[in-house]
Amino acid sequence: MLRSCAARLRTLGVLRGLPAGRRAPGSEPRPALRLFSSEEVFLKDYSVPNPSWNKDLRLLFDQFTKKCEDGSWKRLSSYKRESAAMMKDFKTHFLDPEHMKEEQISQAQLFTRSFDEGLGFEYVMFYNDVEKRMVCLFQGGPYLEGAPGCLHGGAIATMVDVTLGTCAMIAGGIVMTANLNINYKRPVPLCSVVVINSQLDKVEGRKFFVSCNVQSVDEKTLYSEATGLFIKLKPSLT
Amino acid sequence: MIRRGFQVVARLGHHRELLGAPRILPRLNPASAFGSSTDSLVSRFCSEKTDLKDYALPNASWCSDMLSLYQEFLEKTKSSGWVKLPSYKSNRDHIRGFKLPSGLEVSSGKGDWRIFTRCIQVDGQGYEYVIFFHPPKKSVCLFQPGPYLEGPPGFAHGGSLAALMDEAFSKIAYLAGQGLLTQSLNIRFKNLIPVGSLVVMDIEVEKIEDQKIYMSCIAQSRDQKTVYAKSSGVFLQLQLEELSSQ
Repeated sequence: MLRSCAARLRTLGVLRGLPAGRRAPGSEPRPALRLFSSEEVFLKDYSVPNPSWNKDLRLLFDQFTKKCEDGSWKRLSSYKRESAAMMKDFKTHFLDPEHMKEEQISQAQLFTRSFDEGLGFEYVMFYNDVEKRMVCLFQGGPYLEGAPGCLHGGAIATMVDVTLGTCAMIAGGIVMTANLNINYKRPVPLCSVVVINSQLDKVEGRKFFVSCNVQSVDEKTLYSEATGLFIKLKPSLT
Repeated sequence: MIRRGFQVVARLGHHRELLGAPRILPRLNPASAFGSSTDSLVSRFCSEKTDLKDYALPNASWCSDMLSLYQEFLEKTKSSGWVKLPSYKSNRDHIRGFKLPSGLEVSSGKGDWRIFTRCIQVDGQGYEYVIFFHPPKKSVCLFQPGPYLEGPPGFAHGGSLAALMDEAFSKIAYLAGQGLLTQSLNIRFKNLIPVGSLVVMDIEVEKIEDQKIYMSCIAQSRDQKTVYAKSSGVFLQLQLEELSSQ
């Protein structure tokens, strides 16, 4: 569903974005001139290897790409901004569009894609529809430091939110983070690759319960475990 | 001269009160015991002797709410026991003079590292924040998320608030009880934060027990009419060894 949407919207010259934990439409169609000039940037899919990806990340990427061959797994694309269609979708669900000032929209970009190559979040997500599992391969760069040499707890929290949210979103559409609970077991070395394995545990009405663990590439180190609750937005009545 | 004097005293962990402008100039109290008390941790952390850039200072991107509340707290640092925490580009700058516990040792290479919450250095685009601490337990963090922290259009990414809560907790945990690493973080999100608006985070140290520091936080709008999120965090105590005695 996501991919076909992307294809359709691309023909309109509008970017399709992957929300982080919530369904968020992107720039509105009006400032078309601005879009054309930065189109190249915004149409770029960031969930593909680039020179900053280390060996571990590339290896895992290849392994999962192979798993996509039989259709059981799918790689999720990831863009810097969200699409106009998703924005419209979001507006109909969420009140207060007055909050969206135009200058801010033109400058805004998805938090996890606000960094130059290799400095911040380098990640790609693969999804298994049958098992309802989302795997995120994540390499945290030097701008995400916490204690010296370690990944900041907040950066881990961000990626947990993104992964859990995307997992919930694929099952439930537009969702919002309600709760996030993270237990940190061991510090993550900066610039190393971690694997975030997440799954949808249960659905109760509009509530989506998800959980994940964060492990080293060789699965020998458990860095953290987390659970999250995401709520599907109701359509507004206006 | 006073500063040199107090740095020696600081190591002995004395003073109860901090006076002076937004800086710390503790009163000398020779009768107290040894130990890394909060006061000594605070005075060392907030030492003026540095040419490092402090990012927790107003700039043109700060909204009027943030500026006025900042001024209010600045006034409080002059007489009511509040302290403004400096914020450097990297935690490595904050722990100068200390050794990390083994197991966390770090190459002293020439890389460009940044503390996550100072990762975007263009004024107003990322995290704009300042932390005020009232020893031993209370803290207020003023936070204004910029457009690069976006999640849903026009609103801050949940992860960005989670990150700032973790960061604020980490600084308070350190000063209140030498907390170093996050053990757990629990966040209940209530409302979305519009990009560019002010979030006031009230943080309390609930208790220090079993070498862990327990804290709670409420993030709300200035008028307290909108609660953005509530959270709690637990940090592990880990004493840092000094690199050299001075």
